[in-house]
Amino acid sequence: MSVKRILLAEDDKDDCLFITEALKNRGDFFLMPIAENGVELIEYLDATSPAELPDVIILDQNMPKQNGLQTLTLLKKNDHYRHIPLIVYSSSTNNLLIEQSHKLGAILILNKPSTSTEYNKMMDDILMVI
Amino acid sequence: MSEQIQNNINQMQAEIEELRQQLYEATETIEAIRTGQVDALVVNDGSGHQLYTLKTADQAYRVFIENMAEGAVTLNKDGIIMYCNSNFARIVSCPLSLVIGQAFEDFVTEDNKQRFHELFTLSWSHDNKEEMSVHCDGADVPVQLSFTALQLDDGVALSVIITDLTSVKKTQLQLENNNRQLAAINKALEVSNHDLMQFASVASHDLQEPLRKVDIFSSLLLSKASSALDKEAIAYVEKITAAVKRMKVLITDVLNYSKLSSGHNEFQLIDLNELARETLNDFELVIKDKNAVITINPLPVLNGNKGQIRQVFQNIFSNALKFSKPNEPVNISVTSRKVAEKSLTAREDANGQYCIISIKDNGIGFDEKYLSNIFALFERLHTKDKYEGTGIGMAITKKIIEKHNGLINAISSIGNGAEFLLLLPLY
Repeated sequence: MSVKRILLAEDDKDDCLFITEALKNRGDFFLMPIAENGVELIEYLDATSPAELPDVIILDQNMPKQNGLQTLTLLKKNDHYRHIPLIVYSSSTNNLLIEQSHKLGAILILNKPSTSTEYNKMMDDILMVI
Repeated sequence: MSEQIQNNINQMQAEIEELRQQLYEATETIEAIRTGQVDALVVNDGSGHQLYTLKTADQAYRVFIENMAEGAVTLNKDGIIMYCNSNFARIVSCPLSLVIGQAFEDFVTEDNKQRFHELFTLSWSHDNKEEMSVHCDGADVPVQLSFTALQLDDGVALSVIITDLTSVKKTQLQLENNNRQLAAINKALEVSNHDLMQFASVASHDLQEPLRKVDIFSSLLLSKASSALDKEAIAYVEKITAAVKRMKVLITDVLNYSKLSSGHNEFQLIDLNELARETLNDFELVIKDKNAVITINPLPVLNGNKGQIRQVFQNIFSNALKFSKPNEPVNISVTSRKVAEKSLTAREDANGQYCIISIKDNGIGFDEKYLSNIFALFERLHTKDKYEGTGIGMAITKKIIEKHNGLINAISSIGNGAEFLLLLPLY
């Protein structure tokens, strides 16, 4: 099975560390450089060649400048990127966020994991849908 | 002999004639008094002549009218004051002598004069009562005027009773003020409650965030640095993790407890049998583990908040399973009875509007002297090492029962299990 490329937009340094650690021990994902917010994520995508585009994008909801949902909207409008599966995750998901994320085209809305085990499980779940 | 009898008869006839005459005079006199043809009587009572005037009968009424709290006037057909008591003179702050002979409407305030006219005209045929104002030394006095037509010796007159409403109005104003203040305080309380709810919500989320990080870093520490850590250090890290887990549960519990304090409660009809069985499904593993036998006797349908009642069942079942005797199969029995009064010792009444649900277990029980602790916030009867739990479950249960207008209590003794009694209104 091919290694899946993940692009992440996450402003919290600790959360970046958690994901990095979680993916280190798995061989099935390649973590591209992490964008600090939605604006950076799109800039980064613009600078990437089509062959190297990610297989899945994970967006943290609470980011400065441009949050998860806003970035989601822009990505879906963009012909180059709209085919990439999008996942929104947050430390405080609520019904409104879930509803809006689905409406805008996210394939998954997840709670930020609280343990390493949960991180692993999250990656398994993601593998199943992309 | 017949002469004697004849004399007696003659005597009696004479007496009768005299009595008849006296009776005639007395009746005539009474008639004359009644119709007002005489004002006074001169009576010779043996000790001299006594004069009795009819004013003696009047006096009671005159004193009454003078001393009553209201003002009273009598008006003729032109609205002139023929008679008034001193209270009326006081109300309009005008000497008695100057009141008599005045038109009543001169004392009525400008904006009320027309209405007074109307009432004056109407009141000759039927009684009327209305609030208006009269002058008094530049200030206006709120009064109630009560009109009645009177049949007097000299013809028909209009009597007006004037009730001073000043103090009544003052009390009314105070009442309105108090009500306004109360409404404002209520509103402020509502806002404060809402703010508190928001705060609890936000606080609980913001508190969970750092906890999450501590949790993950602790486990990373264990997995990465276990070779660098000695046994003690590893134990410390594990204690950190355990404390963090407890904190998470605590924050959620406190948030739930605070949510219960907010006003709204959505009620619906709940089949308690269904709810109890549903709740027990969640405990399937523990039930199997402890070989627990749970008997649910017929429970009623009642009006309540489904989510909250489910929580009550969860808390009580969880405790019943948790505080079981180590080597004995657990036995829990749920029964209910309807009662007519809001008391946990009421006798069964099939038509009652309350029901008492009893959940009895055969566990370790507790000393009833700690009964109040059980329902208090954060109080526990055992150390957390022996039995886990935050100590808030029963406090939440009690709060929910109280929100449903019910009662809760427990009966127990050490070694003999516990019985929890819940009283809930059916509607």
